[in-house]
Parts: sequence; C-alpha cells; structure tokens
Amino acid sequence: MDPKEQRVALRILLADDDIDDCEFFRGALDEFFLFTHFTAVHDGEQLMHLLTNETDELPQVIFLDLNMPRKNGFECLAAIKLNGKLNHLPIIMYSTSLEQEVVNQLYRNGAHNFIRKPSDFSSFKKIIRQALTLITQGNVTQPLRENFVLTA
Amino acid sequence: MKEEKDMLKSDELMEANKELAFQHVEKEKRAAELGIANRELVFQNGEKEKRAEELIIANKELVFQNGEKEKRAEELRIANKELAFQNDEKEKRAAELIIANKELVFQNEEKEKRAEELRIANKELAFQNDEKEKRAAELIIANKELAFQNEEKEKRAAELIIANKELLAFTYISSHDLQEPLRKIQTFVTVILENENENLSEKGKHNFLRMQLAAGRMQQLIEDLLAFSRISTTDHKFEKADLGIIIEEIKADLKDTMQDKHAIIDAIDLSPANIIPFQFRQLMYNLISNALKFSRPDIPAYIIIRSKIVRGNKLNNPKLSSEKKYCHIVVKDNGIGFEPEFRERIFEVFQKLHSKEVYAGTGIGLAIVKKIVENHNGMITATSELNKGATFDMYIPAD
Repeated sequence: MDPKEQRVALRILLADDDIDDCEFFRGALDEFFLFTHFTAVHDGEQLMHLLTNETDELPQVIFLDLNMPRKNGFECLAAIKLNGKLNHLPIIMYSTSLEQEVVNQLYRNGAHNFIRKPSDFSSFKKIIRQALTLITQGNVTQPLRENFVLTA
Repeated sequence: MKEEKDMLKSDELMEANKELAFQHVEKEKRAAELGIANRELVFQNGEKEKRAEELIIANKELVFQNGEKEKRAEELRIANKELAFQNDEKEKRAAELIIANKELVFQNEEKEKRAEELRIANKELAFQNDEKEKRAAELIIANKELAFQNEEKEKRAAELIIANKELLAFTYISSHDLQEPLRKIQTFVTVILENENENLSEKGKHNFLRMQLAAGRMQQLIEDLLAFSRISTTDHKFEKADLGIIIEEIKADLKDTMQDKHAIIDAIDLSPANIIPFQFRQLMYNLISNALKFSRPDIPAYIIIRSKIVRGNKLNNPKLSSEKKYCHIVVKDNGIGFEPEFRERIFEVFQKLHSKEVYAGTGIGLAIVKKIVENHNGMITATSELNKGATFDMYIPAD
C-alpha cells in the first residue's frame, strides 16, 4: 500500500534534540505523506512524559535519536521496552554515526530498525519513506539482524 | 866295780825318780791344765755347738734368702727382657718421632710460607674490600638515583597512559561530534541544490558541488579517524578464526569495485589464525581495498592471499623470535606498487604517495592496518617496486 493512500493519519513521534534534523524530517514527510500526525520532542524526558501521561493517543512509530540531553536514546529504548503498555511500539533508532557495537546492542535491546542519518537530502527522504512503508505494511515485529540497519 | 856300778845305778834311779816325780807333778799340772782346757773345750764346744746351731739356722735362712734371691733374679731377668723390648720399641718410636718431627718442621716451614702468602693476600683483600665498600657506597647512591628516576618514569608512564586514553577519547568524541555539523552542511547543500536549482547561476552550482566534494572528503577523514581510534579503545578478544570466511565477506562488500577492476582474489590454503575477528576484518578490508584502488588500469587486478603457520627461524626476519610459531599472512597484488624507500612511511598516519585528485584517500588505511597488527603482537612489512605490485607480509603469533 502506498503511504499516500493511507486514510487514517499515521501517528509518528520523533525524539531529536536537533532542530535542523527535525526540519529535515518534517520536510521529508511533507513531500510524500499526506496523512500523518507528526509530533517532535527534543529530549528523552519529554518523550517518556508524552508516552506515559495517558491523555494522548500512542504513536504508531517512534523515531528515536541516540544522543539527546537529559535522557538519551539508549535509556528511552530500555524504558519503553520495560513498560508493558509501550513495549509493542516499533522504535526506529536514528543517529549520525554507525558503530557496529552500538547497533548490536540496540538490536538486542529490541529496537525495530536502525537508520544512519544520511548526508544528502534525497537519501534522507528515501530512507524515511522506506522505514514508514514497512510500518504501514504492518511490519511491527523486530526484523532479522541483517535487515535491522536500513540503508538508502 | 859293780858297787860302783850299783851305786851309780841308784843315783841314776834317784835322779830318774826325782825326774819321774817331777814329771808326775808336771803331768798333774798338765792334767789340771788339761782339765781346765777340757772344761774350756767343753765350754767352747758348747759354744761352738750353739754357734753351729745358730749357723744351721742362719744357713737355712741364707738358703731361703738365696731361693728368694733367685726368684727375684728370675723376675728381674724377665723384667729386664721386658724392659729391653720396651726399650727397642721406644727406640723405634723415637726414630719414627724423629722422622715425624722432621716432617712437622717441614710442614711448619710450609705453613709459615703459606701464612706469609695469606697475610699478603689478606692485605690485598682488605684493600679490595675497602674499594668494594667505596664502590658499594657509590652504587647505593647510584641506585637511589635510579630508583628515583624509575619512580619519575613510572609517574610519567602513568601520566602518558592517562593522556593517551584521554587523547583517544578526545579523538573519538570529537570525531563523533564533528560528524553532526558536517552532515548538516552536506544535507543543506543538497537541499539548496534540489530546491533552489533555478535560482543558482552555473558558477554557484559548481561551487556548491565543490563544497559537497570537500565535505565528502572531510566525512571520510572523520570516519577513518574514528576507525583508527576505535581499534585502540575497543576490547581485544582473540578467537581462532577462518580467514577464508573473512575474505568472502570482504569480497561481498567490495563486489562493485571488484567488477569495475575485473579483479580476481586468489585466496587458498588459508590456515586458521588466532585473531581479533572484528579488527582483522578491517585489516584485510583495508589491504584488499588498497590493492583494488592502486591497481594498474591496463591489466585486471589480481590479488593473492596466503596464510600458513611457520616457526620464527624459518622466516628470515631477525625481529621474530626463532622459537615461536607465527601465522604468516601474505597479501600480494599486481598494482602500481611504490618506490622501495616509502616502505616504512606508507604505514604512518596521513601519509599519502598520491594527490587526492588521482587517488582519493585520507592516508589512514595502512596506519590502521599497522595498528591492528600491533594489537595482535605481530609485525607487518611491505615490499614493492614501482609498477611491479606490492606485497604485504604479516606475522601474527600463533601459540
């Protein structure tokens, strides 16, 4: 199913302290997703607060930056996976650098995908689209290790 | 005449009578005297018998004494013999003692000589002892100085270890953090080129493309620096690994480049090696991608990889321990090679033999290779001549 044909808006939550990256993300969504409900938070505490206040509807996918102030991506991932109400949510880790050991650990901790932030905008859009397509197709269980890292 | 004759006869008879009377008196006197003499003789006889009796007793006594004296004489003879024997023995002993005495005198002389020698030697030793004590005192001072210097060195070494760790952490973190703004620049360039294409002059577009290339090189540099610091900081866990599997993985990674270069990797007879797999994969990747990058444009790239376990004394390298076993790994290509004088320098960080316009690269690849070999307590050498390919020999301890 093409994401553009989605009738109900896909609820996307982005946790990233970098304003530019949030802008790139929004720009990418604007180009190909008509129906999205996009929220951005800028640190891990805000993310956990939003997920546990029980007033907002839970997102369908979370993009989680690794390096954030106050509570980093690692801690957020662990907290979400330990929370019975949240642990079904697919978490797509999202970082500038790609460290094999870090990636392995994130996979073990139950992350859904790993995206290395690309350095050109078309790749950026391509990879976000790829990740969201997988989610809208209902692929919410953790993929095999070899399919864990998404590349543009 | 007869009367005269008778008369003469009577006178004669008278005279004879008178004579006889006289003789009788005389005889009586004599008898009395004889009586007395007899009595005297009886007395003397008695005396003599007493004397005889005494003499018998004395005689007996003398006989007894004589017997005793003979016994004594016999005993004295025996004692005399014994004394004669003892005397002989004593003379022998005396002779022996004389010899022994001479010997002792000789020994005594020798001992005195020796004593004299010892006295001299003793003086010499005393002198040497003094010298040694002086030397010992000097050594104690020198030792104290060394101990102090040692402490200083240990302090300095500890400081260096800390500084080194800090430096590596700094390299790692800074490289990591440098990626972020660089990526932004790159992304913004692409956003501008995409969205503002019609607003840009041709010169402006060209400059943006040059900016993109420069940023790309910086990105490569940061990634290589990260890789370089990562191999120093990550855990070194040795495993027995199959080089063939590692090479197959690298071939898959480099599939496109290998096709472009019509490259063949000839990797057979590979012995398993005791290595840090993650690091060794990076090492082999760097060597193979170098071989592909520096291949000759006119011929297909041909890379030979071999490995075998060899004892150090068979390897003709004085830096290797002759008793130890090594895994000798060779990576040989038929590329452009390099002049022999650069065989050490190519392993230094940021050392490049070509400008980036001809061969892209940061000059970190072989520095990483060398560092990984050192992490394995091994050594690497490079041999080459210009346009005659390059050979990399690695020796990794195999025990």
